This record gives sequence, C-alpha cells and structure tokens, in this order.
Amino acid sequence: MNETNDRTAIAVHNVTRRFQRTGGGEVIAADNMSLTIPRGEFVCLVGPSGCGKTTMLQMIAGLLAPSEGEIEVDGRKVTGPGPDRGVVFQKDSVFPWMTVIQNIEYGLKCRGVPAAERRALARRYLAHVGLEGLEESWPRELSGGMLKRVAIATVFANGSRVLLLDEPFGALDYVTKHQLYDVLLSLWSEDEQHRTVVFVTHDIDEALLLADRVLVFKAGHIAADLSIDSPRPRNTESLLQPAVVAHKRTMLEHIGLRPSGGTA
Amino acid sequence: MNGSRSFNDRRVGVAALLALALVWQLMSVLFPMEIVPGVPMVPGWQVVVTRTFLSLSNFWEGGFGIPAASAGTPPSYGVAFLSLLFNSLDTFRRLALGFVIGGGIGFALGLLLSLSEWSNRFVGAPLRFIRALPLLAMIPLFQLWFGIADFGMVVFIAYGVGVIIFTSVINAVPRVPQIYRDNARTLGASKLRTFYTVTVPAILPEVRSAAVIAVGVGWAAALGAEYLGAQSGLGRIVVASEAFGYLDRMFLTAVVIIVYAAISTWLVERGFARLLRWA
Repeated sequence: MNETNDRTAIAVHNVTRRFQRTGGGEVIAADNMSLTIPRGEFVCLVGPSGCGKTTMLQMIAGLLAPSEGEIEVDGRKVTGPGPDRGVVFQKDSVFPWMTVIQNIEYGLKCRGVPAAERRALARRYLAHVGLEGLEESWPRELSGGMLKRVAIATVFANGSRVLLLDEPFGALDYVTKHQLYDVLLSLWSEDEQHRTVVFVTHDIDEALLLADRVLVFKAGHIAADLSIDSPRPRNTESLLQPAVVAHKRTMLEHIGLRPSGGTA
Repeated sequence: MNGSRSFNDRRVGVAALLALALVWQLMSVLFPMEIVPGVPMVPGWQVVVTRTFLSLSNFWEGGFGIPAASAGTPPSYGVAFLSLLFNSLDTFRRLALGFVIGGGIGFALGLLLSLSEWSNRFVGAPLRFIRALPLLAMIPLFQLWFGIADFGMVVFIAYGVGVIIFTSVINAVPRVPQIYRDNARTLGASKLRTFYTVTVPAILPEVRSAAVIAVGVGWAAALGAEYLGAQSGLGRIVVASEAFGYLDRMFLTAVVIIVYAAISTWLVERGFARLLRWA
C-alpha cells in the first residue's frame, strides 16, 4: 500500500491529525492513515460528517499541516498550498471584486503567463463550462451553480495536474448538480493524460456516478477501498446496475446504515 | 423600479428641506426679538439673503485689485460673493489636505500593522483608548505642538480623519473570509500578491463607510480648528460674528457649511463608487 513509483500522484504516509477541542480533549480526524492515488485516477472520499475526509483533502492541499506523517504529491513533500494542486471549495471562493474572466485568469497571472495567452485560455475554459458571454459579469450577478462553473474553469485553466474538490456541489439543486457532473467529467476526460481528482462528498450516489475508486472514511480510518468499474458515461440509470448496487450496499454498511433502512 | 424610487426619495428630501425652511421663517415671525439692534434672534430668509449676505463683504481681505473691506471697499453682492468664495476655499483646502494626508496615513498604517496577527492585536487595546479621546478637546494641544497656522489645522484634521480610517482597516482585515486567501494561495499567489489582490479590495466596503463618517468628523475638526485662531475660513467668520452678536451671519455660514458637507460626502461616495462597482 505504501510503495511509491512514478505513476503515483499522491502518497499519504502514516498521517495523523489531531484537533484540540475547545474546553479540553482532542479529536483525531486522521489516525495513522496511508494511501496512494495513481496519476489520472478520479477518487471520491465519502463518509459522514466528522469522518476526516475534508481534513485529508485540506492536508493534501497544504492548507492544513499533519500532526504526524507526511504527504507527497508528484514526489514532492507538501509544505503549503501551491498551484500544482487546484482546489474547488465547498463555499463560494470566487473573488467578488473581480469580473468572471479576471477570476479565471487569476492563477495564470500569478505565474506570469502573458496577457493575450491567458485571456485566450480563460475564454476557452469559460466556454467549456458553458458561460461564454459572461466574461465581464460580476460574481454577484451569478447564481450558485454558475459560480461553481467559474471556480471549476479557474482551476482547470490554471493547469493543475491534481484537483481537489471539497463537497463542491453540496449546496446545489438536483438538476444543477447533474449538469455540473457532466461539466466536470467532460473537462476531466478532455485531457489526453487525465488529471488526478480527489473529490470529497457525503453523497454516495454522487461518488458512484463520478469515481473510478471510492474510499469510505470512518472516524479517521479508511473503512473500504472500492473500484467502480461501471463503464462511462454513467447516468442515473447506471446506479441501478447490479454491480453498482452491490457497491452501494457495501458503502452503506461501512457508514453504518442498513440498506433496508434504519441504523445498524 | 430603482430609478423611480430614487426619484421619489429625492422629492421627499426636497420637500422636507422646504418644510424646514418654512418652519424657520415661521419662527422668525413668532419670535421677532433682537440680540443686538438690527439683528434678530431668528433671522428670516428675507434678512439672510440680503443684509446678512451683503455683510460678508466685511470679511474680504483684498485681491483682484479690490482693496480689503478694512481699507474702505463698500459692501456689495460681488464682494460678498468673493469673500464667501475665498473663505470657503481656505477651509476646503485645509479639509482636503487633512483628509487626504490623514486618510492615506491611516489606511497605510492600518494595512501595515495588519500584516501580522500579532501587531494587529498589539495595536487593538491602545486604539480603543485613543478613539475614546474627544477629538475637539485636543485642539489646544495640537495648536501648541504644530502652531495655529494652516499646518497645525491640517495636522489636526489629518489626525481626526486618520484615526477613523485606521480603526476601520484594523477591524476589517481580520474579518476578510479566509476562503478568499486560501483560494488565492492555492492558485499560486504569493503572500504579497494575496495581500493586494484579496485583503485590500475585500476591506474597501468597510473603508468607504468609515470615509463617509470621516468627512463629517473632518468638517468638525476643520471648523473647530478655525474657531481657535484662524485668520481666514468659514470657522473664523462664525467666531468673528459671534463676538459682535451677528447671529444672522452665523446662521448663514451654518447653512453654507451644511451644503458643503453634503457636497463633500457626495464626492467621497462618488470616489468609492468606481472602486466598489462589484459590491
């Protein structure tokens, strides 16, 4: 489980993360965890809230330091945030004081990409997420789903080979969510060499529609590591295939729910 | 919708002002007593726009080939207008200089001390103390330190404005949502770039509110400073008039100041409007 080779995008080695609880005591959000994610894999981390999945994502992003252990991305130890790992956050992160196109260009500008080149790239990704014509709009004029499209275009335009998404669609309605699955997957499969995606969600169906592999988190441990080999493109019908239903049953059991309803 | 609403707001505002002017006129009829012979306690508009306005000629210090009032130039509407214009410009100059210098230093210093959480906390406590000091009570202190000439007044106005802007920056920076800084850092922004592309624009709405308050404080500071020893300006007209019981001149100057304060507030809001198109 621990071997690292040049196909490995993310390697987590014996990582523990503790939080001090106000008023004493501590919470262990990651308990001596190790995992490897190969390049190009679409991995979903699922589990109930408080299971440590967001903590893991933030540690890979470099926004949170492990208490013990270390994380490597593309063979380099993670010491802080960086443009090699793009993040789509749960809450709205689009800068309200920049226009849509300025937001998408932001990362490219940070890295000194010439104006004409970054404008062209930004326009391409803006079109890809279906927002052409909104270049000069202010974020306040956009709906929640449109803001997510901007955030996705921003990280893809920035060229990060590793993308970390933290319950990005949690606050959206059913239809918008499914539209954004399509946007995300079409961008992901557009590249010859797929980008590595780590996608945190508490929604099991979401994980089954998106992932190559699902890691079920429970109280700071990985309770199950499942390969989802149902063919792509998937849709809501795919969720009814026997193999997928079996995966769903396994996941529900690990989370502590009986498939027939009620808690185990 | 919005246009017609602001149009209605404006009509209501104008109506309220007219009503106030009318009440004043009514009071001048009801209370006709005089403070000194020829100067009513409540000067009606027919006095204010004629005799009172003309009397502003007395504050003409000379220029444009027209000798000073003290050198024998007779009162006229033209000279009164020039006199009001130049005294206003003197006050405006002090206010504008003090506002720009104080606002600039307060903004820069606030940002500088917000760079680290430690320094931000360090200035927090003394700041509450400094803010509690009544500004106008410190005029004599500033006059002894910096003199009663323009320089002293500008420094005093700058202090009053600077404290307000500084405080707003110190309070606003820690409240910028962390997610914007995280977003900038994960997209590859350096700490410095994060500072000027995230922190600075994010606090501007709060700084705008503080700047509008600072305009009012700036006017109070400017007039307060002029009350004590200025050789020109609107504050000096008020004080010189008070010495002789010219209540009507004080009233006219007050009306003029209200108009100016409204205009300067509007100017500051206009200045921020472009920066805050996104908000």
